Amino acid sequence: MSSNNESIGKTLTVVVSLCLVCAIIVSFASVQLRPLQQANKTKDIQSNILSAAGISKVDDVFETFNTNIEARVVDMSTGEFVDTDPSTFDFEKSKYDAALSYSLKEKGIEDIAGIQRATTQAPVYISKKQDGSTDTIILPIQGYGLWGIMYGFLALESDGETVKSINFYKHNETPGLGGEIQNPQWTAKWEGKELPIQIVKGTAGSDEHKIDGLSGATLTSNGVEYAVDFWTGEHGFGPFLAKVREGALN
Amino acid sequence: MADTKEMKAVLFGPVFANNPIALQVLGICSALAVTSSLKNALIMSIALTLVAGFSSLFISTIRNHIPSSVRIIVQMTIIASLVIVVDQVLQAFSYSTAKELSVFVGLIITNCIVMGRAEAYAMKSSPGMSFLDGIGNGLGYSVVLLTVGFIRELFGKGTLFDVSIIPLVQDGGWYQPMGLLILPPSAFFIIGLFIWVLRTYKKDQVEAKA
Repeated sequence: MSSNNESIGKTLTVVVSLCLVCAIIVSFASVQLRPLQQANKTKDIQSNILSAAGISKVDDVFETFNTNIEARVVDMSTGEFVDTDPSTFDFEKSKYDAALSYSLKEKGIEDIAGIQRATTQAPVYISKKQDGSTDTIILPIQGYGLWGIMYGFLALESDGETVKSINFYKHNETPGLGGEIQNPQWTAKWEGKELPIQIVKGTAGSDEHKIDGLSGATLTSNGVEYAVDFWTGEHGFGPFLAKVREGALN
Repeated sequence: MADTKEMKAVLFGPVFANNPIALQVLGICSALAVTSSLKNALIMSIALTLVAGFSSLFISTIRNHIPSSVRIIVQMTIIASLVIVVDQVLQAFSYSTAKELSVFVGLIITNCIVMGRAEAYAMKSSPGMSFLDGIGNGLGYSVVLLTVGFIRELFGKGTLFDVSIIPLVQDGGWYQPMGLLILPPSAFFIIGLFIWVLRTYKKDQVEAKA
């Protein structure tokens, strides 16, 4: 190493040109791979929606999703469908869009799910039976668990009352404790229960509103209960579900 | 140019004789986190080996132009760029693994093995040898990761690469899986045993008593 390496000019030249080269490589990789990554993300979410609808063992996720599931965007306050194109509607992004979301605190609404901002529109996914009648209504739900926001889907029967399934596709809960929200043995307990749901310690028995809590994961269990409460309540999909119960989908 | 014997020593030395995890006890953090399944361990091993090899190569190529006052930052920039590229490729081609490995791919940036080799070897050696040294140390890391991953997945879940090997009790088989092995601390025990076995076999690795 010669001493002129240490001059300010040489240092700056090396650092700046290195940063330029690295930046070009990184941005090239990122831009080139983005379509593939986007497709993977969509596929991941779609396969979760399909499994919430009770369709498992899927070969071609896009194909099955398009033939079996109808995606719609709902106005949260009225519960009516709006004309927003569900394929371009970005639920995650709309949370940070002032025109499409609001702060729960500013509106004086109790933020039980710990999500801070709620959106004015949200997607719902409806799976149809062969004869065209509604089979399952799948609602996206989010709520704060122990370590972070848990993202999942709640599937309801066409009566808008009975739970068909619940699944979480993204969360940071402790593996083996809170992480058990993904355990099929636990989610199976949700099938056939009626809203509103209460997660209790000990054994819930056959009570149609109660579900066994996860042992060692009280805060996660509470988080799940609050998330379901919020998203099926008046500031979530409550107005939409009220319409469903009146038979708006049939 | 170095002779073949030296190249072999640089490439395969770190696998057993000078293993970065077993002898130098570097890079333990990710070895605990990603070894609950063999597939994750394998992908992490490949990612780390590539990053270690190529970062050593690039750092060594420009080593005569790196001002020593900013050398660590320069090394970090190169390593970080490579890791981001690896992460992007994983997200594009192996999304489910990328989701499971999540932060640990990003943490390759701070993996002591990569940094250590860049600083200790690549800054002083020719690009070709540095590349081999990086790959060799990556292989040393991989051997430990795959061993731990193999034991943890086989006895913790009864599977290898998600294929059922031992039938579990809950699926009607006879094997009651060891839940401890799924949890990260079990990797401590396995790495500890690995080091014990290695040092029994290679006595020169035992530290001198003070």
